[in-house]
Amino acid sequence: MAKRGVGVACAALLALACGRAAAPPPRELRINLETEPPTLDWNLATDGVSIIAIEQLMRGLTRLDAELRPQPDLAESWQVSADGRTYTFRLRPGVVWSDGVPLSAQHFVDSWQRLLEPATAAEYAYFLFGVRNARAYNAGKLADFAAVGVHAPDRATLVVELDAPLVYFPALVNFMVTFPLRRDLVQRFGERWTDPGKLVSLGPFVLEEWRHEYRLVLRANERYWAGRPPLDRISAYMVQEGSTALVLFEQGLLDLVKIPALEIRRYANRPEYLRRPLLRGYYYGFNIRKPPFDDARVRRAFALAIDRSQFPELLRGGEQPWPSWIPPGMPDANAELGLGFDPERARALLREAGVDPASLAPVRIVYNSDQTHKLVAEKVQAFWRENLGVRVELENREWKVFLKELTSDPPPVFRLGWGADFPDPDNFMNLFTSYSENNHTGWANPRYDALVQRAAREPEPGERQRLYDQAQRILVEEDVPIVPLFVTAANFAVQPRVRGFRPTAMDLYFFEQVSAE
Amino acid sequence: MIRYAIGRLLAGVAVLWVVATATFGLLRFLPGGPFDKERSLPPEIMRNLARRYALDGTLLEQYVDYLARLAHGDLGPSYKYIGRDVADILRDAVPVSLELGALAFALAVAGGISLGLAAGARRDSLGDRAVGLAALVGVSAPSFVIGAGLILVFGLGLQWLPAGLWEGPLYAVLPACTLAALPLAYATQLTRAQVVAVMEQDYVRTARALGVPEARVRRRHVLRNALLAVMTYFGPLLATLLTGSFVVERIFAVPGMGRFFVTAVTNRDYPLVLGVTLVYGTLIVLANLAVDLLYAWLDPRIRIGNTEK
Repeated sequence: MAKRGVGVACAALLALACGRAAAPPPRELRINLETEPPTLDWNLATDGVSIIAIEQLMRGLTRLDAELRPQPDLAESWQVSADGRTYTFRLRPGVVWSDGVPLSAQHFVDSWQRLLEPATAAEYAYFLFGVRNARAYNAGKLADFAAVGVHAPDRATLVVELDAPLVYFPALVNFMVTFPLRRDLVQRFGERWTDPGKLVSLGPFVLEEWRHEYRLVLRANERYWAGRPPLDRISAYMVQEGSTALVLFEQGLLDLVKIPALEIRRYANRPEYLRRPLLRGYYYGFNIRKPPFDDARVRRAFALAIDRSQFPELLRGGEQPWPSWIPPGMPDANAELGLGFDPERARALLREAGVDPASLAPVRIVYNSDQTHKLVAEKVQAFWRENLGVRVELENREWKVFLKELTSDPPPVFRLGWGADFPDPDNFMNLFTSYSENNHTGWANPRYDALVQRAAREPEPGERQRLYDQAQRILVEEDVPIVPLFVTAANFAVQPRVRGFRPTAMDLYFFEQVSAE
Repeated sequence: MIRYAIGRLLAGVAVLWVVATATFGLLRFLPGGPFDKERSLPPEIMRNLARRYALDGTLLEQYVDYLARLAHGDLGPSYKYIGRDVADILRDAVPVSLELGALAFALAVAGGISLGLAAGARRDSLGDRAVGLAALVGVSAPSFVIGAGLILVFGLGLQWLPAGLWEGPLYAVLPACTLAALPLAYATQLTRAQVVAVMEQDYVRTARALGVPEARVRRRHVLRNALLAVMTYFGPLLATLLTGSFVVERIFAVPGMGRFFVTAVTNRDYPLVLGVTLVYGTLIVLANLAVDLLYAWLDPRIRIGNTEK
């Protein structure tokens, strides 16, 4: 009897084990988010995981097409005033929230007010700092929101006044922090307004379940204005370990995962493999206050001693060597700019600067602890040792310790990266202005600042390209506070049953068009 | 006995206070704050954040504020997971770790004691050597190696078990085995050594000479005495297993609390670090108390709460 029980149990176990992998649920997409989204509150979200979920739940005034140009979304159309400072957005009629409430322009005003309120403490409030008086309101220097340049004269019209023209403003309002918001629900539920059963959204999907640190389930929104999406459901798991996610993919338990760097080669020729180059640059920065990097010739010499073409073979993640700062795929990117590999010229520049490599104190490269960053640092160390004859020391730091060091006492040489928040060169070029919090090099050039500011206001594309070319020349050929090394890519494994998955160059996914049979 | 337990519990509260204070202080010595990110924020936004999370007072004010809240059972908000309190996070994660940890504990205790007893009782036999070798592997191999090996064999190779996720009993098999491997091996070694030592004691020989059946000798005399030393290991082990393992939870995508011991620190999520530390501390205190009470039950020579003069 007992033996029979064990036998039955074993058979059941096996049946369960085998049955599980057999048939994937129809019209359900199972993806890997990797980690828990810190929040689904689109005013407060800042990270790459939250945005994946939020982009399925919500929509903004504009959305980006395949060429990353802003197209009408919740805004049916918009006009910009002759002086470039006032945008008037006309909302699409017939859009309703998932609880049936019609979308109103006031929902945008409410969202932007909440985003900018000091008490909200939204990290990305600065995305709207170009709006008139927004910065003062966020700093608590201005109490009355009516003075901030966003108004809803009627239900279908949103008027935005800017401090100065920003030609990329329509791309900016594609970003999640600017999405409309139901203040009534935030007031009713407080911080819990993003819980399942409470969260009301207007995108192709609505929130069904959120099992923290484990799984997020989204369901098709029957009320979505553009029509119900083909998928019934998206189950987004939080499998942190990339190799586990890949095994689950191979077991048929996940439909879409990112491939860990070490496995990319194994997948490269398989039909499930998908690579997407990203608008994400990887660079080395110099602290120009620390000798010998206080001399631009020395910085140029160090840049010229790096052979970028070796990084793809080293890292194998689809990296593309890129000598200038605006990444390929972004408007006004220019492959002709930047310093290439020229060890002869590098040595000559070092001599010209009066630097004797043999007597130079070891150069310190500091990076945050990570396998990829370590490989890159070792490679750069070898380049500088072999091509310049300088000694190079490598030091790694835990991430937050590294960040603290960057803001307090930046090391002579450090690594960092930057991914696009919105697809405009300003998002990259602004980084190294003298007034940017993200410029850790200590470098300031008024000519560069002026060019970047002018380009942000310049509506004519040809002229804009010319301004950015000039600015990039200063940044990566003359003053060289940074050495851009390469741009990165995302590598996916996608089950053949999944159709229509097209990630964007900003690593955003829209599952509205995706189907899974 | 009850009085003793209450005294120990009160002492435990004091221990927890010391732990909370030390953790609070040490955290603030760590360079980098919760809102330092790849994208640096404008100063006015940093000020707003400091105000929202009450990080703008002096360290002493923050400490007093923290203790006052703690006394009311409020562990504070997470800095990383916006809108969630540490208590909410732990409420979701702790039961998962308890479940997995209890399974692993049962495996380790049952497996370790029976293997150790079997090996120790047949000292130097082939079985003893095989168990010894397996235990050596178990204590030496890190859990990520064991976990990866199990995934390779039972997940990818045989396709019997899912390589991760947390959907039911089947999903607990591999993580529980991985989590149990090290303590099982260690408990085996410990038990075996004790059994070998006890088997040579006079009272065992006497029992055998008196004609007590071997099974009874082993159960009543050998096992009971050998267990006394092994028990000391089980208390802290229980606390460790119940609070989850960063590595095992990560490998098998188990939504337990073990991950927070690492991620909360790397995120500088101060309240969450304090929260998990306090949970762990509480379990250590309780488990050690349980072991001491068990001692008294196992060993008639120990009389807890005896105020003999």
